[in-house]
Amino acid sequence: MENVRIKSRVLKSNVIMILSTLAALYGIVFLGWILVSIIYHGYEYLNLDFFTKDPVPPGMPGVGGLRMAFIGQFIITTIAAFIGTPIGIMAGIFLAEYGRGTWWAMFIRNLADIVISMPAIVIGAAVYVVLVAPLQSFNGLSGSVALSILSLPYITVATDEMLKLVPKEMREAAYALGAYKHYVIKKVTMRVAKTGILTGVILGLARMAGEAAPLLFTSFNNDHTTFNLLKPMATLTITIFIYATGPYHEWHEQAWAAGFVLTLGVLVAVIIAKYLVHGGSFTAPFMYVARRITKINKG
Amino acid sequence: MSSVIAIESPKIDIRNLNFYYNKSLEPALENINMPIPDKRVTALIGPSGCGKTTLLRCLNRMHDLYPGIKYEGEIIFDNTNILSKSTDLIVLRSRIGMVFQKPTPFPMSIFENVAFGLRLMGINNKTELKDRVEAAIKMAALWDEVGNRLNENAFSLSGGQQQRLVIARAIAVNPEVLLFDEPTSALDPISTAKIEELIIELKKRMAIVIVTHNMQQAARIGDYTAFMYLGKLIEFDKTETIFTNPKEKLTEDYITGRFG
Repeated sequence: MENVRIKSRVLKSNVIMILSTLAALYGIVFLGWILVSIIYHGYEYLNLDFFTKDPVPPGMPGVGGLRMAFIGQFIITTIAAFIGTPIGIMAGIFLAEYGRGTWWAMFIRNLADIVISMPAIVIGAAVYVVLVAPLQSFNGLSGSVALSILSLPYITVATDEMLKLVPKEMREAAYALGAYKHYVIKKVTMRVAKTGILTGVILGLARMAGEAAPLLFTSFNNDHTTFNLLKPMATLTITIFIYATGPYHEWHEQAWAAGFVLTLGVLVAVIIAKYLVHGGSFTAPFMYVARRITKINKG
Repeated sequence: MSSVIAIESPKIDIRNLNFYYNKSLEPALENINMPIPDKRVTALIGPSGCGKTTLLRCLNRMHDLYPGIKYEGEIIFDNTNILSKSTDLIVLRSRIGMVFQKPTPFPMSIFENVAFGLRLMGINNKTELKDRVEAAIKMAALWDEVGNRLNENAFSLSGGQQQRLVIARAIAVNPEVLLFDEPTSALDPISTAKIEELIIELKKRMAIVIVTHNMQQAARIGDYTAFMYLGKLIEFDKTETIFTNPKEKLTEDYITGRFG
């Protein structure tokens, strides 16, 4: 009797294990497939020219590179990060510290959830009305604004959640010493939540760096390198979209290569974020690698 | 029924105190009348949920961090009622310090932890900070263990050391009263003994109120003991009297382990 019961439990356990392993494999296989095909198609164009030259018009000798898209992507996402990060963090501080329990904070929290699930192109269209139509030209700045709005709810929610995780005792201990609210936030709660907030910021920025839709109506595209924020500006995501749907074989290959670089960048950012969560410091990933190497040498 | 002995010129005098966590619900504390003597240790004992910690947190108005609470009655400290609206909580909390059950070091160096309250008071002079931090850590009997590593993160200390660090942080600002909320319930016996010695040392300088679950602890370090039950103060007397000759039947039943 006992034996039969144990056997059926073991069987159940194995079935669940196999099912969940298969589910994990399903995700990993597709991710691996995507990465392999990006590298396979893109490696041919991954050379110095790809990063340092603007494109050569189809039909002309040579293929050129996508310098304008790398520079544009860098400028637009950097500015977006500088707009989105402080506003997102401050909004999160408001939700967790000042507005805690008020209907106003609940409203903003729900609004953030809605913006997270809103189609990104809607944000692009909204920014078009405010920053593109009045200027009569697509421009890089509007792209930055659209991306910062996209990243805002991620950063806000992460900050809010991380601050809420700070132990009540820690806050009370600071107040018990006669500290003002802003001092407690600055010196204690933000320090405790720092790592988690940083992770949220990196994930939010990674998310926006991979978006093309909000840029279609805002920064649009440019075949040449530009540093003028009030002119149309190329980005990797839009370039991939245009090149991948274009008629030329070289364009397709270059789109793959651009996709590879973008994926790699986002991947590195996410890996750093993950290690920050576990290690709690910027040196953690290096420490992790060092530990692995010493382990391999020993074993 | 309650039996409370009088104290000459108490540091704090609690008069007819009622406290509500929620205005519409039953009071969590009912009609508390009790003096807190200066330069003595007052222990608050009683079964879980009897209101010991609630009473302690009235004394530095910690409850005010949360919405919906209500006080009635008076708590007289330095001739003023600290429950009045005009009380400056920042000043009050710098004069009445608090140490919690779990050690609560802040995520910064050992030095900065102790300097936290001093900086709040506007002391930024490096020599003065250094001197006062050192004095506080010495008073907390922690200098021998951390004197040569003040710049290390406070989380690198053991639980017992963290708790003494937190005490050093609280006494650095020279409070007149120090509140302890079960300060040793998360610590091992050796760390507990060190904290108890420290509390006995500290009472020379300030009034101390300690909430404890541990009756032996109350007997060991308390000069006065208050027994609470269901939000009411049942008996307040010299510790000796409470443990050997209580006036109330309820106190006797609790002390002898008949309930609780």
